[in-house]
Amino acid sequence: MSGLLNMDFLDEVRRMNKRQLYYQVLNFGMIVSSALMIWKGLMVVTGSESPIVVVLSGSMEPAFYRGDLLLLTNHQEEAIRVGEIVVFKIEGRDIPIVHRVLKIHEKENGSLKFLTKGDNNSVDDRGLYAPGQLWLEKKDVVGRARGFLPYVGIVTILMNDYPKFKYLVLACLGIYVLIHRE
Amino acid sequence: MSGSGTDADAQDKPVKIDKWDGTALKNALDDAAKKVMLDKYNMKEAHSLMDGRLLICTVAVGFAMFALIWDYLNPFPASRTVLIICVLSYFLLMGVLTLYTTYTENGIFLVALDKDKAGVDPDDIWTLASVLKKYDDIYTLSIIFEDGKTKKKRTVEKGHSVANYFDEEGSLCVEKFEPFVRQLKDSLNFEKKGN
Repeated sequence: MSGLLNMDFLDEVRRMNKRQLYYQVLNFGMIVSSALMIWKGLMVVTGSESPIVVVLSGSMEPAFYRGDLLLLTNHQEEAIRVGEIVVFKIEGRDIPIVHRVLKIHEKENGSLKFLTKGDNNSVDDRGLYAPGQLWLEKKDVVGRARGFLPYVGIVTILMNDYPKFKYLVLACLGIYVLIHRE
Repeated sequence: MSGSGTDADAQDKPVKIDKWDGTALKNALDDAAKKVMLDKYNMKEAHSLMDGRLLICTVAVGFAMFALIWDYLNPFPASRTVLIICVLSYFLLMGVLTLYTTYTENGIFLVALDKDKAGVDPDDIWTLASVLKKYDDIYTLSIIFEDGKTKKKRTVEKGHSVANYFDEEGSLCVEKFEPFVRQLKDSLNFEKKGN
């Protein structure tokens, strides 16, 4: 602990020349870039703007619990069918909602309107939609649930509920990468 | 004035590291060998190898940042093509970087130029490389000498336990390490005179 409080661990940084310092910054940049590229790569492969979402409420119990991680795909060729679990966003709101499709009205040209409801809710989602909106359309869909990982998303929920904790963790990771020499 | 003072202090203070950290051990010994070659033998460091690595990394991060900004300005799915190009380029460059580090760099931490005193002949090139395997204690230093005129190369390498050079607290004992480096380098010089 005393080693941390002394500036001993910064000696390594002080001993670095310009190129080595730049490489440390690049190292940090590459870690961020790798995470970013994996996320963008997933976006392209799944066709969804948010390929991984966390279940935020208990409205889909017992299928999904709060804190579960969902993998989504959003290929336009796959038609939405009753009984499928879709993740959608209400216009004007950021939070994705994970519910099941209840009813579909489909035209011959492929355009459709659908109604959703959470398994654990007693009423359908019309109360959640924008005022005056009675149906959802394909453009509201973020993706369809294709796979899931239980419990893993709790970390995300914690970080969103306590943003200071999130910044602390990110700051510590950032400093560690910048100081530690390969 | 105080700025240069603290810099000199940081360079002259005995190097103290965590003696159980293999990476720190290797880096400390590499840095000390660098100092011997550059300061004591008055050579100039050639940066092209390191610059190559920095270039690959900078281009890779550039692709990632470009993808980020493009996607922010043209939300997905409009940015799909650009994203595909950037993601593929990024991972391709990561592959190139791995190949570069493994084969081109190959443990080399210093390329030093020995300038001809008369200023006429081309420089001799001294390349230093080292190996310290994970959880191992044998540090092997290799010196490759390339004659500026004949372009012929000569290599010598020797390994010792790192315990020979660090004390109980993890401070590097330069008085023990410097003679080792000098001896290794001089052995190449004697070969040269022999030819």
